[in-house]
Amino acid sequence: MSARPTLYPLASLSQFHSTPSAQDSIPRHVEDDLRAYGCKLIHQAGILLNQKQVAVATAQILLQRFFYVSSLKQFGVADIGMGALYLSSKLEECPVRMRDLINVYDLLLQRAAHTVASASSSSLHHPAEFKYTPMSYFGNTFYDLKEALVVSEMQILKRLGFDVQVVLPYGTLVNYMRLLGLTSRNEAVSMAWGYLNDALQTPVYALYAVPTVVSAAILLTTRRLGISLPSSPENCWWELFDVEWEDLWSVCGYIMRLYRERTTAEQVEIMGLLSKKDLRQWLEGRIT
Amino acid sequence: MNYIQLEKLGEGTYATVYKGRSRTTNEIVALKEIHLDAEEGTPSTAIREISLMKELKHVNIVRLYDVIHTETKLVLIFEYCERDLKKYMDAHGDRGALDPNTVRSFMYQLLMGTAFCHENRVLHRDLKPQNLLINRKGELKLGDFGLARAFGVPVNTFSNEVVTLWYRAPDVLLGSRTYSTSIDVWSCGCIFAEMISGVPLFRGRDNADQLLHIMRIIGTPDERTLRKMVAESPEIQIKQWPRYPKIAFQQVLPKASPQAIDLLERLLQFDPAKRITAAEALQHPYFTSAGLGSNSGGVPAPYPSTQQAALIPQPAPPGQYNYAQPSQPVVVYNVQVAPIAQPQQPQPQQQQQNGFGQYPVVYAHPSR
Repeated sequence: MSARPTLYPLASLSQFHSTPSAQDSIPRHVEDDLRAYGCKLIHQAGILLNQKQVAVATAQILLQRFFYVSSLKQFGVADIGMGALYLSSKLEECPVRMRDLINVYDLLLQRAAHTVASASSSSLHHPAEFKYTPMSYFGNTFYDLKEALVVSEMQILKRLGFDVQVVLPYGTLVNYMRLLGLTSRNEAVSMAWGYLNDALQTPVYALYAVPTVVSAAILLTTRRLGISLPSSPENCWWELFDVEWEDLWSVCGYIMRLYRERTTAEQVEIMGLLSKKDLRQWLEGRIT
Repeated sequence: MNYIQLEKLGEGTYATVYKGRSRTTNEIVALKEIHLDAEEGTPSTAIREISLMKELKHVNIVRLYDVIHTETKLVLIFEYCERDLKKYMDAHGDRGALDPNTVRSFMYQLLMGTAFCHENRVLHRDLKPQNLLINRKGELKLGDFGLARAFGVPVNTFSNEVVTLWYRAPDVLLGSRTYSTSIDVWSCGCIFAEMISGVPLFRGRDNADQLLHIMRIIGTPDERTLRKMVAESPEIQIKQWPRYPKIAFQQVLPKASPQAIDLLERLLQFDPAKRITAAEALQHPYFTSAGLGSNSGGVPAPYPSTQQAALIPQPAPPGQYNYAQPSQPVVVYNVQVAPIAQPQQPQPQQQQQNGFGQYPVVYAHPSR
């Protein structure tokens, strides 16, 4: 087979510099944390649904791409996450039932709402324990969520122009680790694998080619474990994979920012902005 | 809508196809209308078809011109083709069987389209006469990518429920989920035999029966082949089968030329690893040595209603497909009239791209 590059879309420079959410005056750190939380919800839903990791990862990448063409003010991050997981499950040929996905998201959203509510109430020392209340049989919750799900899926397809091919990094990681002679060190392999999975909560897969992201995971791993690889000019290991140092460093930055300690207040603030309605209210509150 | 809807052409399980005319160019197109179901959202067949076909631009693949997305339906605008291969065989064949030159022309085009898909990392997964469309110029085009999927670094297993039974490869029938391009090659072989004889080669009733039909002709594979296949795709289930001897294809298809038989033999290998690739098949002497068909006399156009000669896409430029004799144009089909359309070369998927969505799209490049 001819060696043709694997094709998948990446954000353009202008989409990166001025995201639709930024144009709606949503601060950068709020956007980043909301994207990360949306991806975290997908991850949790995937675990609860026993869904394959390929579908979960694909959904997370689709969510990141989506918010380069749409604003968080127009589309809630939880709704889009739900639509993305539904869509990716079809793409990866492991479809989920709408009912199951909705139940799982209902649970996750109730839990987030509970955290927000108990943080604002005075009983800080004894937060009430979370108890899930199943949807009422004749209530509207199910229909509302289902409507949101169908609309999200369609909007993702429409706004991404049906460009929903996603290339996952795992195969590349295995190849690179082999080439660098790191496969004998189990901790290195699993740590790099973990960095790749954590990177799914950042926009890097929508911004950089797979070799760059994979190299960043390897760089973080080798630094963390003190493994030395040829890294002085003319002999830099990442050049083997056609990766530029600046890009590599930038991806590492995205991943490390994910680990920044957030205060409880910061965390609760993000959990309260999962729907477009809440986000709009919050934006109005900031202006006045 | 920019298209006028004309008569209905057909109805499938998830879509209705109409003939249409563009208001701007007057061009005739096919409109495939897909209803959006509130129970399942956008059908996965439609998602696959659009996401893959909009990138595949080749003479031997039906072109997707446009997609119209409304609240209740999706309309895909396709290049219009008069009929599918099945109907063509019924109308023009001798009890379904096509003459050797037409078979060769269609087979070449089928393999060209398939090779292009594979080169672009797309598996069609549902090749059969009903999904191959023939236009007035005698061009054959692969259509209906509803089951197609992209393949890349294999991190994933695929659905086993693919390909219409009669054209399904034995490894898939045995349960393989790690199949690749070879499943389309098997289907090409089945279609080849069907064009020669007029009837489908293996007509099973169900999965198990289909396997028996295959073994009755190409023989039950030996232990070693089966063990090798299991080693390569562990999900394969092996059972005990009657030991059928191999029957010579010449006996099954008495009308076929020795070279056609040889090509068929390579396409229909039980072991997927031994099957020829579509690109290799295009270099087979069946195509490259002219006039060796059993009836190499007159050369009828595949589509008699027009006086135009059949079109055989000329070989791609040297190097592209690694022809045996790159400097010599390969004469595949002796045309009476000069080809009217310039054969198109496969176009790599490269466009100026920027960003996601309605904006043109940027493709990843290592040194970005």
